[in-house]
Amino acid sequence: MKGFEVIKSLKEFILESDVIVSSNGNISREVFHHLPQPQVYLRGSMGLPVSVGLGLALANPKKRILVITGDGNFLMGLGSSVTAAFYRPANLKILILDNNTYYTTGGQPTVSSALDYPKFLASFDIGYKYSKKANPDQIKDDLSKFLTSDTFAILHLNIDESKEDLTNIPWHPEEISKKIIVKIAEME
Amino acid sequence: MIDSKSFVSYLERNFQFISGVPCSYFKAFLSLLASNDNDSPLKHIYATREDEAVGVACGAVFSGKRVLVYMQNSGLGNIGDVLTSLAQLYKLPLLLLISYRGLEPDRDFPEHSLMGELTEPVLKSLKLPYWILTEDFWESTMNLALQEMEAISSPVALLVKKGVLS
Repeated sequence: MKGFEVIKSLKEFILESDVIVSSNGNISREVFHHLPQPQVYLRGSMGLPVSVGLGLALANPKKRILVITGDGNFLMGLGSSVTAAFYRPANLKILILDNNTYYTTGGQPTVSSALDYPKFLASFDIGYKYSKKANPDQIKDDLSKFLTSDTFAILHLNIDESKEDLTNIPWHPEEISKKIIVKIAEME
Repeated sequence: MIDSKSFVSYLERNFQFISGVPCSYFKAFLSLLASNDNDSPLKHIYATREDEAVGVACGAVFSGKRVLVYMQNSGLGNIGDVLTSLAQLYKLPLLLLISYRGLEPDRDFPEHSLMGELTEPVLKSLKLPYWILTEDFWESTMNLALQEMEAISSPVALLVKKGVLS
C-alpha cells in the first residue's frame, strides 16, 4: 500500500475530538487533504512529531492523540519514542509509515532498513506494538485495533513509495495554532 | 542562592508542565521537585534532548498549559530548529531556563568555553528576549519574562549563572 492510501483508510476511525500530529512534508499535506481538519500539521520541526504528540497526550488525558510520522522523521527523534514509552500515556498512538526514504525531498534513502522494528518495539514494555507490511485486505482491521487499544500503542507499517500531487497546506502556522487551541479548548 | 522552596513554589503557582535536560546549576531545585513529584501540581517530563523537551512543551502549550523548559546553554545548540520552525513559527509561548556556563576561562570545563561566549549572541540571533536571573530580583525578573512571553506569544529565556540556583 501507499502512504496516502493508509492515511485515507484512517478516515472512518477518526473522531471529532481526536488530535492528529503529522510529520512535515508529504505526510502533513496528505493528512490535511484526506482527514478531518484542523489537526497539528507540522511544517518543520523534523524529528519532533512524537515529542509534540507526547506533550498533547499528557496535557489531554481524555483525548486520543495520533502521531503520523515517516521513517526519516521517526529516526531523527528516536530518543523521543523512548521518552514516550517511559510515560506511555494510554491515549497516545504512534503510526510510523516506513518507505525507507526521505520521499518529500526526492526519495533519498534513509537508514531505516537497519532497524529490526519488531525487535525494537518488542523491547518496550507497552501494551500494543506491531510491525508489518501494510496490506489492503487487513488495513482497516489493523488500524481499528491500533486506534482502540486501551494502552499506549505503536504501529509500524512498511509502505510503498508514493507521492500525490497535492497543494501545500494553505494555512499559516499561526492559523493552525489558533484553530488547534480553539478545538482543544472546545472539546474539554 | 535563591531559596529552592520559594523557587519551586513559584514554578508550581505559574506552570503546569516542566521538561528539560538537567544541569548541575539546577541541582537543588530539581532535587526538591523530584522529592515532591507525586503530589506536585507540576507535571515533570524528562527528555533525552533539549529539542525534544521543547517539542513536548509545544504539545502542552497547544493545550493551553504553561510550560517551563530547562537546559544547559550547550543545549542551545540543539534547539535552533524547534524554536524557529515550531515554537516561534506557531507562536507558542514558553519560558526557557538556561544555565550560563563557560563564563570564565575554565581549564576543567573547556567544553563550555565557546558556548559561554556565544550564548548571548545566539539568543540575540534567534530573536529570543532574555534576562539574567539574579538572587535579589529573581521573582520580579521571572514575572517580567512571563509578561513578555504572553505579550509576544513566543518563547523567552532566562540565563542562570553559577551559584544562583545551586
